[in-house]
Amino acid sequence: MEAPSLLTLVIAAFITALGCFTDITRRTIMLLSIQAIAIGSATLARCLIDLVIGLNIEALIHFFAAFAEWFSAAVVAPLILYWGVTKTENIADKPLIEARKLATLIISISILYILWILQSQMLREGRIITLSFCILMFSFSTLLMITRRDAFKILAGLNMAENSLFPLLAEIPITLVPFILTLMIFVTAMGTYVIIEAYRDHGTILVDRWRWLKE
Amino acid sequence: MYSLLPLLTLIVPLFTGILCLFTCLFKFLEEFSRKTAKMLLLISAVLSLATPLAMIPYCVIGEVLETTGLGLRADSSNIAALVSTAILFLLVSIYNMSAEKGGRLKPGVYNFFLLLFLCCMFGLLLSYDLFGIFLFVEMVIGVSIILVAHNPIKDSTEAAFKYLIITAISALFVLIGVLTIYVLTGESNILHLLGNIEKRMILAENPPLLMFIVACFIVGLGADIGLAPFHGWLPDTLPASTIIINGFTAIEPIPLILALYRLVAPLYEIYPSSIIVALMLGTGLVSIIFGALMAYSQRDFFRMFAYCSIDEYGHSLFALSLLSPSDSQIFIIGQFYLINSTLAKTGLILSLGSVYFNTGGSNMDFLGGLLEKMNKTALSYIVCALSIIGIPPMSGFYAKLLLINASYKFFYDYGNSIIASLIIALLICIAVISCVILIRSFHKIFLGKSRVNIDVKGDVPILMWLPTILLAMATIIIGVHPDLLIRFIGYTRFG
Repeated sequence: MEAPSLLTLVIAAFITALGCFTDITRRTIMLLSIQAIAIGSATLARCLIDLVIGLNIEALIHFFAAFAEWFSAAVVAPLILYWGVTKTENIADKPLIEARKLATLIISISILYILWILQSQMLREGRIITLSFCILMFSFSTLLMITRRDAFKILAGLNMAENSLFPLLAEIPITLVPFILTLMIFVTAMGTYVIIEAYRDHGTILVDRWRWLKE
Repeated sequence: MYSLLPLLTLIVPLFTGILCLFTCLFKFLEEFSRKTAKMLLLISAVLSLATPLAMIPYCVIGEVLETTGLGLRADSSNIAALVSTAILFLLVSIYNMSAEKGGRLKPGVYNFFLLLFLCCMFGLLLSYDLFGIFLFVEMVIGVSIILVAHNPIKDSTEAAFKYLIITAISALFVLIGVLTIYVLTGESNILHLLGNIEKRMILAENPPLLMFIVACFIVGLGADIGLAPFHGWLPDTLPASTIIINGFTAIEPIPLILALYRLVAPLYEIYPSSIIVALMLGTGLVSIIFGALMAYSQRDFFRMFAYCSIDEYGHSLFALSLLSPSDSQIFIIGQFYLINSTLAKTGLILSLGSVYFNTGGSNMDFLGGLLEKMNKTALSYIVCALSIIGIPPMSGFYAKLLLINASYKFFYDYGNSIIASLIIALLICIAVISCVILIRSFHKIFLGKSRVNIDVKGDVPILMWLPTILLAMATIIIGVHPDLLIRFIGYTRFG
């Protein structure tokens, strides 16, 4: 794996981990956008260099596909969530687990992950190392989702988990890119719709209060 | 044989759905849309049934209809599931004519999503492309979530959000599995992958990664189906959805469980490991036991049905998991069980929907004595319940008999007679528990004294009881002549 790609993945993983500690909904959405920028930048830069060097249609198509992926993850999805927050509320809530314990958990996951990479035979192949990074970011995103009560933070965590698979998505046939992107935006839009409807019903975006109000 | 029929099967519901959507986009069509929405859905359902029916003559004689390039393929392995899905959708559309009372979505949008749901279910059944399967899985789930949120009650948004988060995460597991295969082999078509020795070897030479992919598929699709222990959303979603949406989503397991089989069985063919079988059988068994035990303690009949569904999904997966390199009958038995179970479950949930429609309640402790006033609904409920339990001459009896027979043979061949006997004893015990649960629910809802606080004037309208009676009749007819269904189910070897 090239050093710049590795570096961007490390930065993206760090930002995903940071997402677990944020208090305000808008800040989580901002981190989601930064995470997507970090993940997509290496691929985008590579495609741009190919385009400048090659100057052919194929390179142009690949550049546009990479740009579409990057744009939808870094701009469109966060904007949908941001719009949802403006329609509902921007709240500050702490993670369900205490910050120190959460940090210990994240460090433990990272150490276990490094040990797993060093031990595992199956991850020796170059392209599969990307998969292992994806899994690390995916775990952090899942941690963000399960430690939050704010519906938008949970949805932002889901988007971070989706973004974490983008390095692998760069390998898929170019004809599939529009479908996958549309689907991911569709899921975000649908989630936002459900949260706005729930906010109308319950007057809050805290998921535990939805149940509490009912009882 | 190259054919556009598989593609047409997807286009018909999608196109009619888009037409329905157009009726509510323009203000001057709004009134027309409101008045004709139910009829439009019914007509679309009839049209959508026509294409799968047109493919039957080809598939029965062993022809393979393939739209190459898109990875869509209809053959004897999926035609029965396609036709059953279309017929069940049509019957629930008839039920919808009287039962739909409106909700958060406009009628045209509601119809569009229902028809998109059908299109995606067809796509899941027809697709042999890994990315195609992922896209259709995610679409089926996405549309189901919107349909759950359609119910204008407070619980529906909470249930829809829970459903969204669990299934969206699980869909990512499916994507991880699909991407791993694609990154390693550069192939996304399952049949092409199996036809190429070099690509097969890439996967076969890395067993831990292969097991990881299988685990991703089981976790991912298991959560979408509602298998234990990934079922968290299911018991909340059923009481929160409208009675019609419950009917439509009862059809969902046919394409989803077959998609799981289509993803895992080729990997087993590449690397016939007992771990793959153990993972599948384990998930099936956990669902069977958990579903049956949890259903027993429920008072709300929708929640009871949700746990019974988990039990039935477990049975279907268990039947399809008896993978063996030499036995092709398992797929036929598994699919027969799955279709029968879905048939009876749809009848059951529509009957329960009729009870809810008339009484407005789903707590069985506050119901009773509805037999006199809702005799047709009671009849369809008990027939479908007896089919799920496995009482002759219902189709469920034959399906359970085949399952028990196949299970004994499998565990006898790969284990010993004691293990085989224990598994059979477990399956019979679970059937007894299901019998107690369903008969007790019939007793609580339809027998005993009628409650003074419930004012039921008569049975539900004909368009509501007719589909349930038809489903009950279908379980009896297939029970008496199982070959009516079995002869349409064939097995296509992947390799």
